[in-house]
Amino acid sequence: VWIFFIQTTKGAKMKKELNPFSIAQKQLDDAAEKLGLDRTTHELLRWPMQELKVTIPVRMDDGSTKIFHAFRIQYNTARGPAKGGIRWHPDETVDTVRALAAWMTWKTSVVDIPLGGGKGGIICNPKELSETEKERLARAYIRAIARSLGVTKDIPAPDVYTTPQIMAWMMDEYETIVGEKHPGVITGKPIPLGGSQGRGDATARGGIYVTQEAAIAYNIDLKGQAMAIQGFGNAGQHAARLGEQILGLKLVAASDSKGGIYKASGIDVEALIEYKLKNGRVNGFPKAEKISNEELLELGVAVLFPAALENIITGENAPRLQCKILCELANGPTTPEADDILFEKGIIVLPDFLANAGGVTVSYLEQVQNTYNLYWELEEIHWRLREKMSRAFKSVYEMSQSKKVNMRQAAYLVSVARVAEACKLRGWV
Amino acid sequence: LEMASKAINSGIGALDEVIKGLRLGDNVVWQVDNLKDYSYFVEPFVNQAIRDSGKCVYLRFAPHPPIVGTRRGLMIKEVDPKGGFDFFSAEVHRVIEEWAKKKFFILDNLSALVEEWATDELLANFFQVTCPFLRELDTVAYFALTRGQHAHSTIARIRDTTQVLIDVYRIKGKMYMHPLKVWDRYSPQMFLPHMVTEKSWQPVFQSGEAAEVSTIARKQPLRAVESSIAPWDSVYNRLIQYREVNKDSRQMIPEIMALKEEFSRMLIGNHPEFNRLADSYFTLEDLYNIRDRMIGSGRIGGKAAGMLLARRILWEQDSEIDFSKVLEDHDSFYIGSDVFFTFLVHNDLFRLRLKLSRNSQLSREEFEEVEQSFLAGRFSTEITEQFRNMLDYFGQAPIIVRSSSLLEDSFGNSFAGKYRSEFCANQGNPDERLEVFLHAVKLVYASTLSPDALSYRRRRGLGESDEQMAILVQRVSGIPYRHYFFPGLAGVAFSRNLYAWTNRIDSNKGVIRLVFGLGTRAVNRVGGDYPRMIAVSHPQLRPEIGMEIAKYSQHEIDLLDLKTNQFVTLPTAEVFSRDEYPNIRLFVSIMKDGYLDDPYGMIHPYSGEELVLTFNKLISDTDFVKITGNMLERLDSAYGHPVDTEFTASVDTGGSVRINLLQCRPLWLPGLSGPIKVPDNVPRERTLFKSKRVISGGVVSRIQYIIYIDPRCYAEITSMELKRSVGRVVGRLNEHPRLVAGKLLMMGPGRWGSGNIDLGVNVSYADIDNTVVLVEIAREDSGHVPEVSYGTHFFQDLVEGQIIYLPVYPDNPETMFNTLFFEDSANILTDLLPQSGELENVVHVIDVPKATQGAYARVVADPQSHSAICFLG
Repeated sequence: VWIFFIQTTKGAKMKKELNPFSIAQKQLDDAAEKLGLDRTTHELLRWPMQELKVTIPVRMDDGSTKIFHAFRIQYNTARGPAKGGIRWHPDETVDTVRALAAWMTWKTSVVDIPLGGGKGGIICNPKELSETEKERLARAYIRAIARSLGVTKDIPAPDVYTTPQIMAWMMDEYETIVGEKHPGVITGKPIPLGGSQGRGDATARGGIYVTQEAAIAYNIDLKGQAMAIQGFGNAGQHAARLGEQILGLKLVAASDSKGGIYKASGIDVEALIEYKLKNGRVNGFPKAEKISNEELLELGVAVLFPAALENIITGENAPRLQCKILCELANGPTTPEADDILFEKGIIVLPDFLANAGGVTVSYLEQVQNTYNLYWELEEIHWRLREKMSRAFKSVYEMSQSKKVNMRQAAYLVSVARVAEACKLRGWV
Repeated sequence: LEMASKAINSGIGALDEVIKGLRLGDNVVWQVDNLKDYSYFVEPFVNQAIRDSGKCVYLRFAPHPPIVGTRRGLMIKEVDPKGGFDFFSAEVHRVIEEWAKKKFFILDNLSALVEEWATDELLANFFQVTCPFLRELDTVAYFALTRGQHAHSTIARIRDTTQVLIDVYRIKGKMYMHPLKVWDRYSPQMFLPHMVTEKSWQPVFQSGEAAEVSTIARKQPLRAVESSIAPWDSVYNRLIQYREVNKDSRQMIPEIMALKEEFSRMLIGNHPEFNRLADSYFTLEDLYNIRDRMIGSGRIGGKAAGMLLARRILWEQDSEIDFSKVLEDHDSFYIGSDVFFTFLVHNDLFRLRLKLSRNSQLSREEFEEVEQSFLAGRFSTEITEQFRNMLDYFGQAPIIVRSSSLLEDSFGNSFAGKYRSEFCANQGNPDERLEVFLHAVKLVYASTLSPDALSYRRRRGLGESDEQMAILVQRVSGIPYRHYFFPGLAGVAFSRNLYAWTNRIDSNKGVIRLVFGLGTRAVNRVGGDYPRMIAVSHPQLRPEIGMEIAKYSQHEIDLLDLKTNQFVTLPTAEVFSRDEYPNIRLFVSIMKDGYLDDPYGMIHPYSGEELVLTFNKLISDTDFVKITGNMLERLDSAYGHPVDTEFTASVDTGGSVRINLLQCRPLWLPGLSGPIKVPDNVPRERTLFKSKRVISGGVVSRIQYIIYIDPRCYAEITSMELKRSVGRVVGRLNEHPRLVAGKLLMMGPGRWGSGNIDLGVNVSYADIDNTVVLVEIAREDSGHVPEVSYGTHFFQDLVEGQIIYLPVYPDNPETMFNTLFFEDSANILTDLLPQSGELENVVHVIDVPKATQGAYARVVADPQSHSAICFLG
């Protein structure tokens, strides 16, 4: 009985800790404390400002009707209209959506784009829906939440299991409801409907730009140095390509869920991408040694890009990491315990919500183009993105220097301070 | 006259093009149905000859009207055949000798000579003495024969002697010419039937059309018919007599019924289930048709019988889909099982076979030797002549030589993939094509002794049973595209869906594995390459989403390369890189900036966008799935058993779908071979767990070992390294001799085989392939239930490895999950792997009889009621 009790309490405790919204709140609490945020502002920032929960009936192909539950949360709009993706996932919970909406608030703030943070989700398994059912669900969702959407209110985007096609249906439904053309109501649209150039590699490109700024700030010459990429999926492949083109790095190791490869003299990036696309793995790439995912993380490279999984750099392996810069293209690759160790070791961590903010920045640029009704060439997108990322890095870097905190904490401080200031100026607090 | 190039103008440009021109010394024999068709070719020839050399000689001997009217330059020389062979031949020689300088000769229809002389033999003799003489004198001569009037031996002699032999026939008002022999000339499409129009002569290459044309053109495609073998032919002959007498009557008298059944047993074999179907569906006409297309004697084997039967079933039944319009004609040939024995006996292989099927496992190298001795074997002249007839029939159309053994594709044994099937791209001159074909047949024969086949037979207790190898020769479906030949769509379809990975999918409706190109990629599993899986009940649902769709798609295409005369595999991008494949928009989606888009119209071949084979538009815009689903349903109900089919399909520009059903056999389904009753009275203390949402079924008793990965302890492992090592330990246990010796059940949290170790133990299929049952424990934790493996490719491996897969939801009260048993029974992990102590609390290995004083675990899973139980007893 005693053992059972311990296990139950442990389980309950674990559950609470795992609640993503609690984690988000705790991260804010830490930042608030470091910033010396006043209690009212802190309390305001701890909660979503508006939550919409909707129940949507959708007619299925076989004639039956199925009821779906969905959310749209506008976490904070002090800096501008809410911005954030719509997730379609069977395990969606309101707390996940809350947490992600909070993170979007900090992300738009850290790259200093005039937007707030939001997120939406539909509890559904898109694998079990036909194309026509998906379309009906997308349109029904927009009908349910249209009142709180708009270029001046809240601008959704694609996220887990949602695609440009779904964005197109949603935009169409919204425009039908308001009776006007508003392509900027949603981003991540297909290009013919007002989508932006440069979306494909935006996340990796943003990460490369901040890496470049970091190298300048810390006086590291990256030319000819080695990089390793954990997770050779879409973002990882772009990072390899751009790391070579923009930073002059050479790829020495790459991995995916089926293992990794290593070649000290450098791997031909294009050949590896082709190999990966053809074989679905990097393992077996000619003239390269096998390497495990764990070994890859511990290589002595200039830049390490974790681009796949959460929690792969832990208190256990962090002491063995030898890279100079850790650029987090994936969400949450580093545990808090590891963060402290890396900071002590002097490894420059470019935290996820700074390093992978290229995606939301290009989303913002899409919306700007929609509003202008004027579309830019790819080069223009690239320099605007570089501009944003570079400024973002600088403010985070300066914060980390002045407050003597690690880059992740600095990023939080920068973004929370900006949102707090906006709330203040509006007279909310 | 262009003497220099030796090329002679026939007066018909299209003819010169098809046969690469006439030459001095050519004897050209036209096999026609009537004189008019002969005149069609003679008329321009005569005019051209007169233009070129001023004269043409017409040897007139038959009572039929003249082939061409008189004109300036045409010298008509009458010779009377009444004087007999000797006199007539001498007269003809004299005329030829006299007029040889004029070079061009036309002759009346030779078939008229038979009426005069009453024997084929003399006709052949006449041809054999006349033809070489004309050749020596460097002339060009036209002859005619009436189709179907002469013995095969006569035609064979004429064919051997002449330089050019062309078959001419009319189908549905259109004239076709089909060169059967063109000496010393070659072009890739020379030996195909050509449709003759005033403007152009088009080769008939599209398989469906070719099958239709050739079937009608050749009622008796095999000229050489095996001499009588009793009692085979006695039954056949009695039936033939009956056919003659009772032409008009559709009634079956009992004697005939009995004869028909006897005949059917002789052709098809003796399996009660199959016989029931054959007797009720095959008509006498069907059996005659089989006989007419049979090379040698004996049986046609399971694969051929299944194919024919399934087609007949679809033709017979009325339903909303008219299969007589949907099914493509087939024009297959059957090499009788007796040919196999004769081959063995004549080539001293019979005893070798006897020895090998009885004992010892062959090594790969030893088998290669056996294969060599088969390849060195020879067929009798008679059989070879029939092979030639068949190859003439197909011309240069690609064919496939498929094993069709007696035991194959029958109820209970599928032999899937155990015997060979060989493609013949069938390019080259007739001798080269025969060579390749013979090679293929011998390879199929040799495969009866392959280590795989022998061990399969032994395992199924068929080691000693009578296995005779018949062969099914099918036309490869498809159309020519660039220098390739392949079907647009091919695949396998099952009438039950074992891949029903979501509750929405009805597993009693079928499933289709579809590929572009030859079906080999759907039949076999190729690593990293995936056919489209279509659930008939919900065709649009698929377990992948977003860019995963591109990853889990078909990346390579199997096809026949007509230039190199072989089977090749090419990347999709290469096949689609030039030209537009007809209707390609039905087959592909276009990769845009990070997402897939279905085409709405034309696809520009040079746009450079990546095309992904999704078949989305085929599924949404055509009746393909509806038709295939209906086909499966009808076959399933006629067989009274789930079926497994192989097909090709095509869609025309109007969007209508044609199916070519290549094969149909009973589907092996664990748990569906007989009714399964999940016991409902097992006492609680003997129940280990119950499960719902079960779709693979079966009964497994005497399970001795259980590997149980404790979900809670697994979740609590914080070290990723240690978590990963769980998969490695499972892999080692899977191979452990002690566990291999007894039956093994594995159970663990979440998704086995997942790339994400937080979702489940990371194993590959090879790490678990010795288990008979794999259980996924989906325990509710932090508000959600983990997704189980349904729909993953790992899951497909399980289905095909015939491993029973059960998801178990312990938090569901109906599940009755006996946690105590799994956690408290003695753990023998460290006895087996002493160095794995670190994982003792996570990996429990239970020796069931030891833990229970002698009881074994038993699993009963019923896919019909979707329920299963595992209990002691």
